[in-house]
Formats: sequence, structure tokens, C-alpha cells
Amino acid sequence: MTVREPNPEPRNPLGMNGIEFIEFATSQPQALGSVLQMMGFAPVARHRSREVMLYRQGTMNLITNAHPDALPGISAPTGMPTLSAMALRVRDAGYAWRHAIDLGAWEMPTRASAMELHIPGIRGAGDSLIYFVDRYKDFSIYDVDFIPLQGADRHPPAVAGLHYFGIVQAVSADRSEDWVDFYEHLFGFSVLPEGKYFGILPKGTLLESPCHKFYLQLIEPPPGAEDITWDECLLRVGLGTPDVVAATQALRDRGVVFVDRDPVQPSEKGALTQIYLGTVSFELVVSHLKPAAVS
Amino acid sequence: MNFDQFGMDTVTLAGPLEAKLRAVRDAGFGQIMLWARDIVGHPDGEAAAIAAVRQSGLRVTGLQVLRDFEGLSDHLHAYKVDVAKAMLGMCRAIGCEVLLVCSSSSTHATGDTDALIRDLQKLAMLAVPLGIRVAYEALSWGRHVNELSQAWALVERADRANLGLAIDSFHILAVKTDLDALEDIEPHKVFMTQLSDFMWQDVRSPEERVNTARHFRVFPGEGVHSAQVADLLRRLDALGYRGDYSFEVFNDDYVQLPLATVAERARRSVAWLVSQVPRRGSPLRRAAASANRPRSRPT
Repeated sequence: MTVREPNPEPRNPLGMNGIEFIEFATSQPQALGSVLQMMGFAPVARHRSREVMLYRQGTMNLITNAHPDALPGISAPTGMPTLSAMALRVRDAGYAWRHAIDLGAWEMPTRASAMELHIPGIRGAGDSLIYFVDRYKDFSIYDVDFIPLQGADRHPPAVAGLHYFGIVQAVSADRSEDWVDFYEHLFGFSVLPEGKYFGILPKGTLLESPCHKFYLQLIEPPPGAEDITWDECLLRVGLGTPDVVAATQALRDRGVVFVDRDPVQPSEKGALTQIYLGTVSFELVVSHLKPAAVS
Repeated sequence: MNFDQFGMDTVTLAGPLEAKLRAVRDAGFGQIMLWARDIVGHPDGEAAAIAAVRQSGLRVTGLQVLRDFEGLSDHLHAYKVDVAKAMLGMCRAIGCEVLLVCSSSSTHATGDTDALIRDLQKLAMLAVPLGIRVAYEALSWGRHVNELSQAWALVERADRANLGLAIDSFHILAVKTDLDALEDIEPHKVFMTQLSDFMWQDVRSPEERVNTARHFRVFPGEGVHSAQVADLLRRLDALGYRGDYSFEVFNDDYVQLPLATVAERARRSVAWLVSQVPRRGSPLRRAAASANRPRSRPT
């Protein structure tokens, strides 16, 4: 006889352990690459079969995807880069994927060719995907699908200790609770108490990952903004640093422009870059997080 | 309560989709309830149907209807998940934010409450990335869920922001639901109210209910349960429900009458319904609200 005791699930059911990589899709990978390099990311490897590049900075892996074919149900890359995926480190990617599908996530097809790694993914906000990666300790997913660039430092150091801190997601009006359910029940995220914020953009709903290594911020359209376009999507990446002032200065020295008007004046709490290529901006946040090890 | 809260359902009207959209708009309604077959059955294909809906300027109240979803297992469950995904995709394509789901009448469905809740939670989860809300309705001939209070119990325990109730006056009248059941329901969890009446006092057997529901409904004010329909509306209004009211009127005669004639009957029904509910802020309404029993919440 099978007995199902109604005990609660563990707080971190997938064994989540931070962000493995973040992916941008764009039909202008070189223009985006210039912005990324200004932000301190260095190109380290190229995909074996597709127009995909791996950038790295300290503990952060960042992928630019310029592969022209769209996946079913997903738009093809355009000139305006979009934040197209986040890959989560988990204990067992197969289990994580099945767990998510069983609970109602949408399965997404993979682009993997022969001998390439199949990275299981589900549908996220807008056109974005959420991948599950379990090979990040003794073995790297990039060893299989990517060819290192000759002469490139495979582990370029981070500017001013930058590391992934979080991702900001735009949600439609009155939809924050729907997305809280999504992240809470599929992954084990939890909502931070109202009033607890980081950085200089204190708004929306803040969710903490069950591994306590990054955050998601859900932002609804501001009141009175009925006429503006506000499609659900991943909006920007938050980068943590122990010293925002030093990081801001170091990035300014590299040519990055920060918004210097209220209410987002750079301060010791945070700073916001200008928008590049129509859609790309980064938010600096003073961070208590300990950066994860790079794979 | 005002005219903008009311809409018609394509099931009440004869003819092609474009004619239905035009008739509803010409009658002054701002919204319309669609059925999936309105879209996939269009002679020029789905894309033409979607374009017609979007060009009509009408808001889509909801998409009908996902049947027999909850309580299945193994391959039957997987099959229904596929159907649900296709219907959610259709919702998104026509710019509709609510998928209507009626309680299962399948003999293959379990009545195990935990399983039913798990399935509704899964459906709600599937709907999140597409921006759809799921409105669950107790069919009066549902196999395990056939009363409003049962549907509410599942929705409440499932506890998902985008999962709520569809209240249908027909089923309430058909099984003579005690309207005090409404007092337990959170008004913001009522995603949709469907209104209709019928012409006979009693529909005793499930077979009679199915037959009446599918062929002999009339607009509110035209049937023999006017007092109960008005009572339902007053209670919903007093409860704080401010959502949509859709006329779900299946009627074999109406689908052989000119569309404008049927739409005019719908207009008259709105006028009658609005006259039955005291205006907000009026002494009568305040009295009705204070007469409401205190809300008992499960702990």
C-alpha cells in the first residue's frame, strides 16, 4: 500500500544553487558584445555549431544568442536585445524539469544538435526560458558545446567584485500574485517582507531564491501608465557588489554611463546604467551575497 | 452595476462569427463570450477568426470551455493537459484573459479532493505565463462537483491567484442552491458570472438538466425564476462583486431568429436586471448590505 503523508515539501525542492548563466538574444551580437565588454564581461568561448558566444566576468557566465531560427512559440532574435533565458543550477536537472512539468510548467524544445548537451528548459516570462543545469561542479556545460577563444583568459576577474544579484521582471497590472505562485510553487522562491528592498529602485515584489543566492523583482506598470507598452518580459539584470561607489567609478572609467537624475542617482546603495541598444541596462546593488564559484 | 458589465455569448446567436460580433456590437454591448469552436470552426481558418475578433473592438469576456479536466490520471490526464494548453494558447491569441472550465462529468474522473485540487493547481500554473485566469464552474450534472459550494471549496484550497470561480445562475436554479452559500465566497475570486433562466419550475434528473441547459434557457426576466435571479444579483453586488455578467443562453428558438431581435432581448434583460439591483450608495442598497450575514471564513 502506498501512503502519501501530507508533509510539506523541503524549502529548496530542486536543490537550487544560484544562476549558471543568463542569456541575451539579439541579431546584433557584436553591438551587444561591445556593451557587455564595457560592463566588464570578456568573451571566452564560441559555440561549436551556432552563433552563440560565452562571456564571463568573475563568477558570472553570460551567453549571447544570435542564432536566427526561432523556437516554436518564441520570437526570433531582433536588433533590440532581449533577456531570453536564465539558467538555474540545480541538484538534478532531469528531476527539476519533471517536477516543474508535473506542476504545470510548459515544456520547451531544445536546439541541441548531435553530440551537444540537451539542457532542459521550461517557459518563463514573455518569450524567455528557464533552463536547469546540474553540471557545474566537476564538469562544465561549456566544455562540451563551446570552443575556447584562443588567447582569451578563461576566468577573467570581476570588476569591483561584481556578481549576479537578481533579475527584474516586468509583469502586467495585477499579475504579481500570479507570478509569485509560479516562482514559489515551481522553484521554492519566497516573498520578502514588504519594505525590504535592495538598491535604488524600491518597488514591486521581491522574491528570494531558496538557495539565498539571488533575487527576482516583479514590477507592475506604474499607476497612470495605461498607455505605455508593458509586455511581460525579463527586464534587466541586477549586479551585486560590496562597494557600489567603487564599482560605479570603475565602470565609468570603462565608458559606462549611469543615470544621474533622481530618483535613481548613483549612491552607495545602487546605480542604474543608461539603456543601451534600446533595451539593455544593468542595475548595481550593494550586496551581502557571497559570489558562487564559476564553473 | 451598469450596462458595461454585461455581455452576450455567441452560443445564443445564429450565423457566422462576424455577424455575431456585429450584432452584439450594434446592440451596444462592449464584450462577448466566445467558444473555441467559433475560432477553429471559422471557414477561413483560425487566423481569420482571430482577426475578426480583434477588429470587432469587443472585449472577449472569456473562452468556453474546457471540459472534464480534473480528476483524470495517466494518459487521460496527459491528453487533457494537451487540450488545455491548446485552449490557453487560443485565449492568448484572441486577447482573452479568462478560460472557463466546468467541473468534470467524466465517469473516469476520481472524486479524491487532493487529486482535484492538484489538477486545478496545475491548470492555473499552465495559465500563468500566458496571462490567463482560470474560472472554474460547478456543472449541476458534474460527477463529483455539482454545487457552487463544492467548487468554491476546491478553488479556496487550491489557493492560486489566477484560479477563481465562474458562477452560473442556471446551475444554481436547477439544483436550487441555497444562495447563502455565496456569503462564504471571496468576491475577488469570482472571475465570471453567467446569467440565464428557464421556463419550467423543476428539472429533477441530471438528464433533464442537461437537456434544459442546452436547449431551453432564456434571458433573465423571461423565465420563471426571476425573483431568484434578481436575488443572486443583489447578493453578488452586495458582496462586492464588480466583474462581468455574461448571458449564457442556449436556446433553440433564438438561433433561428434574426440576430438583432435576439440582441434586443438581451438588452431588455440588462435593463430589467439593473432595475433589480439598488444603486450603490442608495439607502436600499445599504440596508441590503447590512442585512448580509457576517462572513464565516474557514480556519
